[in-house]
This record gives sequence, structure tokens and C-alpha cells, in this order.
Amino acid sequence: MSLDPVQVMKGQDPMALSPPPASNGDSKVSWDEKEGFCDSVGPKKPKSGPVRRARKVEGGIFFPKPENAVTIAVSSRVLFRTEKEQKVFEEKGVEEYLKYQVEHENEPFAPGPAFPFIKALESVNTRLRELYPESEELFDIVLVTYNHANVGVRLINTINHHNLFIERFCMTGGSSPIGYLKAWHTNLYLSADAEKVQEALSEGIAAATMFMPEKQIEVSETQLRVAFDGDAVLFSDESERIFKAHGLDKFFEHERENENTLLDHGPLKGFLETLGKLQKKFYAKGHRLDCPIRTYLVTARSAASSGIRALKTLRAWGLETDEALFLAGAPKGPMLEKIRPHIYFDDQMFHVEGAVEMGTIAAHVPYGIAQKYPHKKKSTNSAK
Amino acid sequence: QSDCTLVTAVSCHDIFDLQTGQSDSSPLAKGTAFAFIKAVQSVNERLVKLSEKQTLLFEVILLGKDCEEQAKSKIFDSAKYYLEIGKFCFCSKEKFERTLQENHVKLFLSSDRDDVHVPAALLCQQADQQVQNQLKVLFSGDLIGLTEDSTEYLKDLGFNDVQIHNFKAAKGRIQEFAMLIGEMRRRFGCEDSPLHTILMTVWGSRDICATALKTLRAWGLDVDEAFCLAGAPCTPILTVLQPHILWDDGLHN
Repeated sequence: MSLDPVQVMKGQDPMALSPPPASNGDSKVSWDEKEGFCDSVGPKKPKSGPVRRARKVEGGIFFPKPENAVTIAVSSRVLFRTEKEQKVFEEKGVEEYLKYQVEHENEPFAPGPAFPFIKALESVNTRLRELYPESEELFDIVLVTYNHANVGVRLINTINHHNLFIERFCMTGGSSPIGYLKAWHTNLYLSADAEKVQEALSEGIAAATMFMPEKQIEVSETQLRVAFDGDAVLFSDESERIFKAHGLDKFFEHERENENTLLDHGPLKGFLETLGKLQKKFYAKGHRLDCPIRTYLVTARSAASSGIRALKTLRAWGLETDEALFLAGAPKGPMLEKIRPHIYFDDQMFHVEGAVEMGTIAAHVPYGIAQKYPHKKKSTNSAK
Repeated sequence: QSDCTLVTAVSCHDIFDLQTGQSDSSPLAKGTAFAFIKAVQSVNERLVKLSEKQTLLFEVILLGKDCEEQAKSKIFDSAKYYLEIGKFCFCSKEKFERTLQENHVKLFLSSDRDDVHVPAALLCQQADQQVQNQLKVLFSGDLIGLTEDSTEYLKDLGFNDVQIHNFKAAKGRIQEFAMLIGEMRRRFGCEDSPLHTILMTVWGSRDICATALKTLRAWGLDVDEAFCLAGAPCTPILTVLQPHILWDDGLHN
């Protein structure tokens, strides 16, 4: 059994133990192409006021209905860098903090860890609009912050400065944003606050805490790259539990015995699914090779053994990732540095920190058993 | 009656349920405005706690438009039973606007959209009658952020010139009320305030929202929460927010 990380490309299957189901969705797109139904209505009725419709502008739809779009809610603390202001808040309290914000209102914030991800979403949207100008199946970005509305002007100035396409926001002035996340049909919530993220996860909303890398490696401006850990992110934490309770041997045994039993789903499965649906829209128009969305599975499982169950589960769900990297326990940092994702989801802080140290934009999904038993950090990096 | 009193008029149809049949002795059942009155009372209590000689307070007038004689005494008794209302005014439909003016009413509230006159806002049904120890007032960013150059987008949405003219007029009316609310709000800190203010921009861009925030600030009101929807349905958000007062002059339907 090789200990080297194995890279499995979609389409080549060294593990063909059973014929894969036809998961290449070249033909039909699964979502209905709902027309902005109000647009087809004739002369406007004078009394009832505006008919609510997705606003159409030259070149496609720019304000999709939340239920039709892939809604990404991002907090101001991860979209922008607000460390200085955070410090004022922690040291001097909320009133001083607000005063500070207003005083510096015309100084835009610098980009934060989620910034490249959001920019990449916008470029995917541009490509989607070119191919499907009538469709509302786009990324819809909502700024959700529990900042006081006083900070609103500075945030809007910053959005203008960076030329971001964000027109929707909620500034909740201290109240929990969770109710609003649901109202916006949020598909993914990114925040700096682990508590809020956990609250969102418990309400069934995919969510993660983001961390600013010290050094920033360059990421693609034309292709959105999203990398996922397997257990407790795409899949449930079932196997993690076995590993934590009974060790590696038991884990392998359990996985072998249950090879043909599907793993249960994890909090980010739905998000991978929505990415897959958007990818299929590009394939349908002949853009498989230059698809602006690319997904990666980066797992500590090993290709020859425990990885099989993961792949089979994905197949059974009708999902796939463009690349699957089985590291067999090797550190993820170097692999991620090569991939350069706009975001990498992992349930273990140990891996998130390792990734961030090497410049990868990583997000922590505080789900499952790993939160109760944090990995003890080794002082040297001799994992072999 | 000082200039500083925020005189609010509420229709008796909203405070009490006048439709269902009542036995003679029992007081009338509570209506939509009830939670609002309760919330207003807690704001007043907190204001007075801060300073006993407080003049900036809410004063609630109960307005009865075209009420039958029988109903009047019933309303009288029920009001005393439930809460302290400053004044009762019964008038005919024709004299309604004059009555508002004579009583220096800064804001008339009604839950009936067709009923709202100048200056007026919509009284919202509260899902949970008990929760409110905080008075929530919602302002429209589309109205307040309205400037001479920004009316194009309203035309695109289907509003005609008359309506747009009315919206501009509405902005002026909101100002007085907003300034008083702003002053009241300043008496309390960021947290633990009995008064909570919200700005919601439904149709306008983020720049309209920024203009609205700056305008309100110039009027002395720093809102607590702000939402910009860019055309997304506002009902789900309003359901979470549960404002008592919604001032949008029909802009949002």
C-alpha cells in the first residue's frame, strides 16, 4: 500500500470495482429554467404598484430571486480586514468603536480572506450570464454582519472602492443574523465568529469560519477553485468518531467492512452539489475543459483503502469533484499550496492552521467529533 | 403640549377589535395596535427613568373616525381598563385631517393601507403579542435616499410621475418624525434600548442606501439596523424583524 498521496482525476478510475453510474450530466440541466415570471406580464396594472421581478439589465440578470440563486452570505470581518477596528471594539467598547468607524468612513477597508473567493464568484457569474442571460441561477452575494448600521456607510464606500458587485446586505445592529440567513435562502455563510457559524450549522446552513493567511499565495482570477476535506465536511463524522475512539487500525477495519455502505452526508455536501449543478451548465454549452469552476477533494484517507468508500458515496449521490487527492495521512499544506483554492473547507483546526501557515485560504467547519478532541500540534513535522 | 412631544394618533379600530360581538360588561378585545401601545409605554417609562422632567415623550391619541355613539362609551371604558391613553378624539371622516392638525399629530398610524393619510405610517401586525419590550420603527431607504437624480430607477419599476412626486413629498414629512425619534434614541445607549430603529431599502442600490443613512444621520438619527434588498422579497425579512411601525408610503406593497 503506497503512502504517497495519490491524485485521482475525474474520468480515470484506478478503483473500478463496480461500474460507475452515468454521472456525466451533459444533456439536461437539473434545475428548471424559470423565467423571471413577472417579465412576461403585459402592461403594468396601475393600482398595485411595482410587480416584483428580478431586475434585468443589459447583459443578464443582476438581482436574482434568493430562492433561485446560490446565496453566499459573507460577514464584513472576513470580506475585509478589520483587525484594527476589532481591537478598538475589544479595548474601548462599542460606542468608541462606532465613533472610530464613522471618523474613518472614507477610508476603505483592505481585502480580507473571503475577498478572492467573492471576486471569483463574480467572474463565474459573468460567464454564466454570457451563456444564460435569462437565468437566475447565479451566485448572489449578501453581506451579513451584526455590525451597527453606523458602519454601513464605510462598508458601502469600501464596496465601491473595490468595485465589488454587492447590492444586498443586512446589518443587524447586534441581533443574531441567523433568522436573516434563512430568509435569504442562504447556501453558504462565511464569518469570523465561530459561535455564529455553529449556530448556522445547527440550523442546517453550510457555514465556516475563515482565517487570514499571513502570506497570500496568488489565486486564479478566472477559475473558481473550491477544495473540501472529506470526513465531517462532505461526509458525516462517523469515521472520525471511530478513529478518535479506537485508533487507526479500527478505522481501517471499519471502513473495509462498510465499504459498500454509504457515508452519511456532512454540512458542505449541499454546497458541492450546487457547484456541480452550475458546472453542468457550462458543460452543456461545451465548456467542460475551460469550466470556470473546479472542485477538489483533499482527504487524509488513502486511495487504496479507506478512500474507496468516500468515492463510492460521492458517486451514489451523483456528485463528483474534478480532482480527488488521497493523502493517506500526509500533511495537506503542500498539496493545497499547489492547488491554490479560493477556499478550503476542513473540520479540524489543525489542518486549517497548517494550510493557513502555507498561505492557503482555509475555512474551519466546526462540525462533528473533532471539535471535542482537538488534534495536538506536533512540534516537528515528521509525519512519516 | 410642548413641541417635543411625539404625538401619535392611532385609530380605535386598531386598538380594539370592534367587529366581534361583545357582551356589555366585558372590555373590548385587543387589536393590532395593542403591542405598539405597550412598547410605546415602555419607551416612555425608560425616558422618564432617565430624567423625571422629561418632555420628549410619546403621547398617544386614540382617534375614532365615524364611530357610533354606542361604540364610543365602550371604547372609553375599555381604554381605561387596559392602558393610559392621553386623549380621545371622535370625529367624522371629513373632519379627520383637521383633527389631526389641531392636535399636532406628528404621526398617524393605521393597519389599513388605504387609510393612511398625511403624515402616516403603517401599523404592523405583530406575530407575537408578548415579545415586544422594544418599540421597532422601520424607515424606507427608498424614500429617504430619494434625490432629484435618483428617480429613474423608480420609473423603471413602474411608478408613475404622480407617485414619484408623492414619494418626494413623503420624504419631507418623515423628517420631523425621524428627528424626534433620533433624539429619543440618543437618550439610550447602543445596547438595551427600548427603541430600535431600522432602515430598509427595498428597490434602491447600495448608494441609495448610503444616501439614506447619511440623510438620517444629518437629521440626528443613527439607525440600529440597515437592510438593502435590491429587489428581493421583503416579507421574509420583515417576518424576522417584526417592526411596529413601517413608514414606506406604499412604496413597497
